[in-house]
Amino acid sequence: VPSPLAEHAILLASTFLFPPVAMVVIVVILLATLGKSLGLREIYVNILIRIFEWGASQIKTTAKLKRKESHVPLDMHIESDEDEEEEEVDEEESERKSARSDGYESSGGFSRRRRNSGASVSSRTSSVCSLRRRHGSGNNIIRRDTQLNLDDDEDDLSREILPVNSRGWAVIGDSVDFIKNGIEAIIEDEVTSRFEAEQLMTWNMLTRTSTRFFQFVNWKLTALYMAGFIFRYACLLPMRLTLFVIGLVFMLVSTAVVGIFPDGALKKTLNHKAMLTCHRILSRSISAVIYFHDEQYRSSSHGIAVANHTSPMDVMVLSTDNVYALIGQSHGGLLGLMQRALSRASSHIWFDRSEAKDRSAVSKLLKEHVSDPDKLPILIFPEGTCINNTSVMMFKKGSFEVGATIYPIAMKYDSRFGDPFWNSSEQSWGEYILRMMTSWAIICHVWYLPPMTRGEQEEAVDFANRVKKVIAARGGLVDLEWDGMLKRCKVPPKLVAKQQEKYANRLSRYTSTCEPFPRVHGSTPNDEAEDEGIAASPPISGYNSLEELPEDVIVSDEEDVVVETRPLPHPRVRSRPVSHVVEAIN
Amino acid sequence: MGNNSSLMLRDEEIDVITNETEFNRNQIVRLYSRFLSLDKKGQGFLEREDLMNVPELAVNPLGDRIVDAFFTLSGDELESEKRLNFRQFVRVLAFFQPIDRTKKNSLNGRKDKLKFAFIMYDLNKNGCITREEFKVILNSMVGANITTDQLDKIADRTIEEADVDHDGRISFQEFCKAMEKTDIEEKMSIRFLN
Repeated sequence: VPSPLAEHAILLASTFLFPPVAMVVIVVILLATLGKSLGLREIYVNILIRIFEWGASQIKTTAKLKRKESHVPLDMHIESDEDEEEEEVDEEESERKSARSDGYESSGGFSRRRRNSGASVSSRTSSVCSLRRRHGSGNNIIRRDTQLNLDDDEDDLSREILPVNSRGWAVIGDSVDFIKNGIEAIIEDEVTSRFEAEQLMTWNMLTRTSTRFFQFVNWKLTALYMAGFIFRYACLLPMRLTLFVIGLVFMLVSTAVVGIFPDGALKKTLNHKAMLTCHRILSRSISAVIYFHDEQYRSSSHGIAVANHTSPMDVMVLSTDNVYALIGQSHGGLLGLMQRALSRASSHIWFDRSEAKDRSAVSKLLKEHVSDPDKLPILIFPEGTCINNTSVMMFKKGSFEVGATIYPIAMKYDSRFGDPFWNSSEQSWGEYILRMMTSWAIICHVWYLPPMTRGEQEEAVDFANRVKKVIAARGGLVDLEWDGMLKRCKVPPKLVAKQQEKYANRLSRYTSTCEPFPRVHGSTPNDEAEDEGIAASPPISGYNSLEELPEDVIVSDEEDVVVETRPLPHPRVRSRPVSHVVEAIN
Repeated sequence: MGNNSSLMLRDEEIDVITNETEFNRNQIVRLYSRFLSLDKKGQGFLEREDLMNVPELAVNPLGDRIVDAFFTLSGDELESEKRLNFRQFVRVLAFFQPIDRTKKNSLNGRKDKLKFAFIMYDLNKNGCITREEFKVILNSMVGANITTDQLDKIADRTIEEADVDHDGRISFQEFCKAMEKTDIEEKMSIRFLN
């Protein structure tokens, strides 16, 4: 029980604070319902960008000063790196000035905060190209020479053709290739980096991204950071929490109301309006700024919408523009409540844990839903897990087998203002929500892509890869073959066996003592192999059996352009027939 | 990860590592960032498991052996093989820097690169590669795709070719001699970006 004085203070505070907060909240809800915005967001984002750039220049100048005091020779390396960064910032600026923004906007309702006057050039904060440049390039440690691929198309490891004098030592030479590949993978690989938050080029005034940059630079920056901190936690957070609660309540109430109506066109329209409003309110609660592109491809009739998955917010982001049916595991607690609420207003697919394992049952449910023209398009994330939005990982083939029209959607977040990626092994749900609500904003670009259907003879896996490629290309993401589930589980031995087989094939080219290698698996893939998206492999070498390999093929050094000529081979070895097959046979 | 670590790299440490290896400051900072992302549990050192979590390494048929060699090279006592701190991590990676004949660095000479490969083959670390050990490696690389007979043949031939003193095993000198023809510098060098 608070003391009388404290109670009095609280009452006074709430009286004074309440009207402004209430007013703002009401304005926001009105705007959400009508689907309009005040344009505050643009100014906010612009201001933030300027502040970040100023911060970045502060870091640079201080770093330069620091280095001048210490070693001189290191300057050369690091300055070239800085020039790269400066160039990138300049490129961004010029791109921004020339581009214009369009599309749907939703603003976060909060009071203005002016640091510099004027300058309200509306900007599209990122085009696909500049995003890629900003986050991809500067972070590589090595230039990779070798790569282990999961598919069968190219020959792996190095393409160098070595003058092999003895067959045995060819193996040791190859093992060195494997070593190099292994060490390169330890230093830099395609997969591990996708499961942690994206690295930023410049600091965005959040502690969570500050380790890459110097801890303490100067007082000005720290003051700015503290001001930002207070702003985020004291102003933005309470407002956003209020909005969030209101949004949830609205969802529960509106779905209950819509649920009263019998199934039909009226219910569908009402559901449409209710859902859109509800999600718009919720999206303001994390200050989501979403740009939609190519709205003509938006799915309106039944079908399956697929998108790349980055965060739990994805559903909400996409739902601010279009209404979808959802599919997922039914949970208990608050999430379960929401699921039931949603189900009242329109039909979604929720299955419980035991059913989740049964692939065919889920597939059946999907088929039923999709074939009903009255039902909404289902939203599915085929990656199965959250990836950090720099790449698209393997799509599970389940949704591509059903035979419905696929509406691909590419989503790209701009993580400078807040990274929506949820690393579920590191952050709990509560931490994640807190982090979302204390970011500056969540900015997302959504591209609708033309609908695709499976070809006559096309395998589900190939279709899935085709869709994945299109999404990756549009969103400026890297297209990877690896399975997103590797985040949690080990590499299955099947993949290792596949690499072994590939090497064995390679070995067979120049080891004539070996009999033809038996095909390890035929053309009937079992479930597990399909999970990995691996098709059965055709024979790689051109020969059907190894007896066909000419025993006495001798290749002179001049033909090997890649490798410099080596000294004369050991005399003892020369007497043996050298069988060295040039890659060109293929 | 990498966002809330309290294991910041101090300047003095960076300087020490720069002197030991030929990496410059930038590269060390990036390698440190990589070290942190591999060290998922935030322990400050790497274990075998941490390295094997890299999918591309796990798929590599010699992945196990590479990790083993990595740990062996980093320390010579048996206990310190289990853990790898950042300094040891960078030291081993320094073996793979391209050879620059103008610099006097002792960590990435030809012999040192060969040492890595040798350690990988020498399973029981007694300084020699026997026929059996070679068979194990070969088996890892081709798996079930080769019959025991073929395996034996290749192993036999390999050992015979390099075994100068005919003691049935390959010592480090014999290994180096046999690898004279291979372009080890190129094969075991990784291009680090500046």
